[in-house]
Amino acid sequence: MSSKPILQVYNLTKRFGNLVAVHNVSLEIAEGKIVGLIGPNGAGKTTLFNSITGLHMPDAGRVVFKGTDITGAPPHTICKMGMSRTFQVTRAFTGMTVEETVRVGAYNRHGEGDVMEKVEQVLAFCRLDEIRHQKCSDLGLASLRRVELARAMATEPDLLLLDEAGAGLTATELSELMGILRRLNEEQGVTLCVVEHVMQMVMGLCERIFVLDAGSLIAEGTPEEVGNDPRVIEAYLGEGAVR
Amino acid sequence: MSNRWKAINRALLGVALTVALAVPLLIGSNQYNLVLVTTVLLYAVLATAWNIIGGMAGQLDLAAFAYLGLGAFTSGTLLIRWNISPWLGMILGGLVATGFAVLVGFPLFRFRVREVWYALTSAALVEVLKVAFVMWEEVGGPVERYLPYYDFSLYHLRFGTYLPYYYILLAFLVVAVLVNRHLSRTRLGFYLRALGEDEDAAEVLGVDARTCKLKALMIYAFIVGVVGAIYSCMYGFIHPNFFSSPASTEVAILGIVGGMGITYGPLVAAIFLVSMREFLRANLGGHLESLYLAIYAVVLIVIALFRPQGIATFLQDGYHWVISKVTRSDHVVKADSTGV
Amino acid sequence: MDIVVQSILNGALMGCVYALITLGLSLIFGVMNVVNFAHGDFVMLSMYFSFLIGSTWGVDAVFTPAITLPLLFIFGIAAYYLLIDGTLRQKYVTQIAVTVGLMTLLRAIAQLVWKAQPRALPYSVIQGSFHIGAYNFMFSRLISAAVSIVVIGGVSLFLSKTWPGRAIRAASDDLDAASLMGVSYRSIYALAFGLGSALTAIAGGLLMTFQQVDPTMGLRFGLLSWCVLALAGLGSIPGLLISGLIVGAAESISMTLWDPRARSLVVYLIFILALWIRPRGLFGRK
Repeated sequence: MSSKPILQVYNLTKRFGNLVAVHNVSLEIAEGKIVGLIGPNGAGKTTLFNSITGLHMPDAGRVVFKGTDITGAPPHTICKMGMSRTFQVTRAFTGMTVEETVRVGAYNRHGEGDVMEKVEQVLAFCRLDEIRHQKCSDLGLASLRRVELARAMATEPDLLLLDEAGAGLTATELSELMGILRRLNEEQGVTLCVVEHVMQMVMGLCERIFVLDAGSLIAEGTPEEVGNDPRVIEAYLGEGAVR
Repeated sequence: MSNRWKAINRALLGVALTVALAVPLLIGSNQYNLVLVTTVLLYAVLATAWNIIGGMAGQLDLAAFAYLGLGAFTSGTLLIRWNISPWLGMILGGLVATGFAVLVGFPLFRFRVREVWYALTSAALVEVLKVAFVMWEEVGGPVERYLPYYDFSLYHLRFGTYLPYYYILLAFLVVAVLVNRHLSRTRLGFYLRALGEDEDAAEVLGVDARTCKLKALMIYAFIVGVVGAIYSCMYGFIHPNFFSSPASTEVAILGIVGGMGITYGPLVAAIFLVSMREFLRANLGGHLESLYLAIYAVVLIVIALFRPQGIATFLQDGYHWVISKVTRSDHVVKADSTGV
Repeated sequence: MDIVVQSILNGALMGCVYALITLGLSLIFGVMNVVNFAHGDFVMLSMYFSFLIGSTWGVDAVFTPAITLPLLFIFGIAAYYLLIDGTLRQKYVTQIAVTVGLMTLLRAIAQLVWKAQPRALPYSVIQGSFHIGAYNFMFSRLISAAVSIVVIGGVSLFLSKTWPGRAIRAASDDLDAASLMGVSYRSIYALAFGLGSALTAIAGGLLMTFQQVDPTMGLRFGLLSWCVLALAGLGSIPGLLISGLIVGAAESISMTLWDPRARSLVVYLIFILALWIRPRGLFGRK
């Protein structure tokens, strides 16, 4: 796999009033890799995601995706270009069934003629066939997570950002999720960036990890490097000591 | 959906259509009754079209009669001045209404402009157009402008009785229903539903919120504008009072009470509520007229609080129950909010 | 030219009252993202109540808010708990729909009870006018404007200095901050609704000193307050006042220079333009 960067973030800053949520963050994600973004609560991970995917307008900095500057572009354009994401708090289409939800995503690259084909493929891949006709409002957390992943996958992204997809899952559900993500990366070459608190998922999946604390990037490297980095330990333990 | 169920579906639709076609014959030669059912049909068409912007795109549009009035004035003026047939006039009326809708919708559907602003703008639009057309002496003015009278003229779309209008509107209802169904089964419909559920999540999936809402608005405005041309022919004149706020609110209420997103919902609501209104109007005389408006308002509030899915869902549930008993099949109740 | 200046002055004075009305709307909208469609009709209701009190007991219009204010406050809170509270979990369309229903209901009731004929109260104690140079000032309008400004100032202080006021402000900015303060968000919503409605009582009483009331007042003040809100945006009270002045003046000039019937056209144009060009308002923070 080439290590050409698929996403480049330069000096991204996002403020909310007086609060600087993301401060001067720069990072690069190589194509075809699985990378992780970790940090204590409130470190600005979701804000960073939102700024990259067009839900927030950055106050400073640039986001370059596949060589094109997408800073501040609307989310639907970014999706069309090949970047998709899931949400931290699952934002399901509660009135729609699983199949309909995935179909919405599938329309991104498919017309009426072959959209259902894509839907079938994604449902099978994420093993959602049995519950395809159930309404999202009736689903449990683990299923909802998979549906959220499925609909993002249906848009056929080159880069998929996952915001705390592993939170609240049991060990079995977690390894199932990780299996799907690994297959997605290996079989279809989708680059993944996961924001996570669940260390098992981060260490088990990611080849490279970025650490965010209080809005700034404090470390990056392989899981081993990051795990032994004193600054990272302090960021987590320091927070733990206060609590 | 099992094939048997589909067949029953089709049969029932056929029955419904036949009944609808036969209604004017069934109610006899009582002109009042004919006016009543035609009015019910009129509102059913408007509310079914409203469903596209209200139920599917999730925008509380309160400007139905703004677009209707524009269609009426376009067609009526063309007829009065240049003897252009309303068959052409209605297309142009639809286009004028659509153009106007785009003017209003374009700035308001931008990302992050809160949805309520469209509702407010549309509410005010009707009144403002009324004032504008009263002031615009050449085309409007405070007095009715009468369309040429004919006992039976297909070219001028003028008839001595409401009977032809009934069938024309019935055809329009079928068209509106078909448009609804087609939309709900294709990309735009799915995108609109997603937007209605969660706009941010939909955007992130590639749904261009603004374009989708605009498309829905344009389809709705066009249909309503075309109906406006027919409206003017039915009444035989055009007048700025066509731009009626209460009537526009009624259309929205029918759409909401019937069940937003349910194709047949508005029709059901129209049958109940519009009949009630006409009945009250005929029997209570002028000074208690606002009573029906008060009843509409109460119905809206009650439905919004206690059965927001709409009254058509009662019928839907009943229908599904009956069907499953009749076919004795284990058929899956599809979570399909687009009606039968 | 004198006519124009006179017109602008009159309009500006009215604009202060418009700002007061809009403040009520802004409180509600800022806190719970629901626009009370019936807000203009609350003004109309206040005016009718003032009329009732004034005509039944001979109370001067300007004193009627003593009764109508608590009345509308309670009415607002009741409206919140009966209508809005139940819809908070529903789709947004449903939430607005309920206030549309309330608006329609109030208008219909007004039509049924008082008919289309305008109602007015006899001349208030603050009648009369005086001249400064070529310009004429009516006491009633002047005092209405002054009282409006004072009340707006008072509300501003309430929002920044008192505990419930700060809770409302916190809720406008961020729901979590409010719950951190230990108050349930529903009480804040109810309070905002009650307060916003109570402000219409003051405006209504003032308006009855020099205006008539009829069932179309609801729409008129509704459109005016939405326009001022669109122009001002959320988060700035001085901005609200300035926007009120602008709208009031523009409305007045249009009636003088163009056509008395054109007032709603011009207000609407400002409304649309404001939303088109600057959706968050001239002074808005979000």
